[in-house]
Amino acid sequence: MSAPALYRDIVLEHHRAPRNHGALAGHTHAADGVNALCGDSLRLELRLDAGRIAEYRFRGECCAICTATASLLGERVLGLDAAALAPLQQAFEALLRGEAAAPGLGGLAALGELARYPARRKCAQLAWATLSAALAGQARTTTEKDPA
Amino acid sequence: MSGAFDPELWRRDFPVLKRQVHGKPLVYFDNANTAQKPQVVIDAVEGYYRDYTANVARAVHSLGEQATAAYEGARDKLARFLNAGSRDQLVFTSGTTQAINLVAYSYALPRLQPGDEILVTQMEHHANIVPWQLVAARTGATVKAAPITPEGELMLDRFEAMLTPAVKLAAVAHVSNVIGTVNPVAQIARLCRSRGVPLLVDGSQACPHQRVDLQAIGCDFYAMTGHKLFGPTGTGALWARREHLQAMPPFFGGGEMIRTVSFDGTVFADPPHKFEAGTPNIAGFIGLGAAVDYIEGIGLERIQAYESELLAYATDALLGVPGLRLFGRAAHKAAVLSFLVEGVHAHDLATLLDHEGVAVRSGHHCAHPLMQFFGVPATARASLAFYNTREEVDAFVRALDKVRKLLA
Repeated sequence: MSAPALYRDIVLEHHRAPRNHGALAGHTHAADGVNALCGDSLRLELRLDAGRIAEYRFRGECCAICTATASLLGERVLGLDAAALAPLQQAFEALLRGEAAAPGLGGLAALGELARYPARRKCAQLAWATLSAALAGQARTTTEKDPA
Repeated sequence: MSGAFDPELWRRDFPVLKRQVHGKPLVYFDNANTAQKPQVVIDAVEGYYRDYTANVARAVHSLGEQATAAYEGARDKLARFLNAGSRDQLVFTSGTTQAINLVAYSYALPRLQPGDEILVTQMEHHANIVPWQLVAARTGATVKAAPITPEGELMLDRFEAMLTPAVKLAAVAHVSNVIGTVNPVAQIARLCRSRGVPLLVDGSQACPHQRVDLQAIGCDFYAMTGHKLFGPTGTGALWARREHLQAMPPFFGGGEMIRTVSFDGTVFADPPHKFEAGTPNIAGFIGLGAAVDYIEGIGLERIQAYESELLAYATDALLGVPGLRLFGRAAHKAAVLSFLVEGVHAHDLATLLDHEGVAVRSGHHCAHPLMQFFGVPATARASLAFYNTREEVDAFVRALDKVRKLLA
């Protein structure tokens, strides 16, 4: 199959071999992201060291888009100051709205095709929402707001 | 006879089936969600708007009479189609959901007492669960569900055992929207009648695929929708026993449902108009009448025989896909195939199949309790109609194979 652009190589590769995958013993922050309607379920565990994301691990049962985003997100935010993530998340949201990828997004820019898939955006947003929840000390979050 | 059924002949009647999606011929396998419309239905709707737009039942001018004749003519057609007994037993609604809610609020709500029960099944659509929960919450009644087998068949002995004196209403799908199980509704109706329990049958998925004979079924209420029957959206009907319709108070008040109105008291119209307040979806029901004529022209018996062959073909083809799990293997089932492929999420399946031109639904199919029963959050679902072909099934399986190789 010539994969549609949404499932470009980097996305498929992170789906098949997600980075920072698994559980994190001794985590300082954690949250569950659950999209019950479509069936994505993500567990994210972090260890913060002096405000910086020192370790990041995720696991769960998710679609390829959600898994790849969680994996790419981990690569991007490791080592960053947790307080400095807001501009990055805003750049990602702008990307999903169809705006050009900001240079700082790194591999996450591969998800820009989601601008053409409104129904699938919540899959990519789940990783971000779960990260924000974990940092805010909130146990559980979702990106499903649409009626079912 | 089924050998004489040529779907290509009927496909020509559906303009959308000529479409391409992502450069591939459309394979529309989402018929349980909504069905495509033949040109005669589109023409009937357009004809009303173009040639004789007028309100019904209140204008004496020519256009009004023509519109009323066409609108009420659709009721006659649908009554014959369902063997309704009398046209007056057929209340037009916006669809199955409104039909069930009408029974919930006008029939069940005034009768339910604390401790009463409403009996449904594990395989119901949310439209046949949530309205009962809403009236149960107001009255202190409870909703309980009869279990199903792993194959997706209703456990009839358990259903019967659950029909205790506390049960004041039973509500059962004629055909499951997720797994295609055809429930033995005539047998269920006999059980219910022997216990004096009124039975509502949700016929949403049955009417397009098999002959529905309301006299033979013997239920108390039957809810159906037009848009799955190749008619316009926003059309449907509630059939009910005459004594129920007489006893039920109207749910919506307004014009068209009254005989006289004064501040000392209002006299309602007779059923079915008592339940049809306000200007109805006139164009929609005229279109539904055209859809019924169209289906009768093909013959539901022929449709059923062909779809049953196509289901067997599609089932064999799907079972040949490595890692594919099929949900629902009832002995008597309609052409609905819910499935998952190992290592592939249902939403990735649907997105990638769409890129191959194949439209299937993914998700929970408005049936959370059934998903919980199977222990999965979501499935992909291919639902077939008489205009689908073996070649389309082949294209679907080829597309599935590509998706599997890409993701799994």
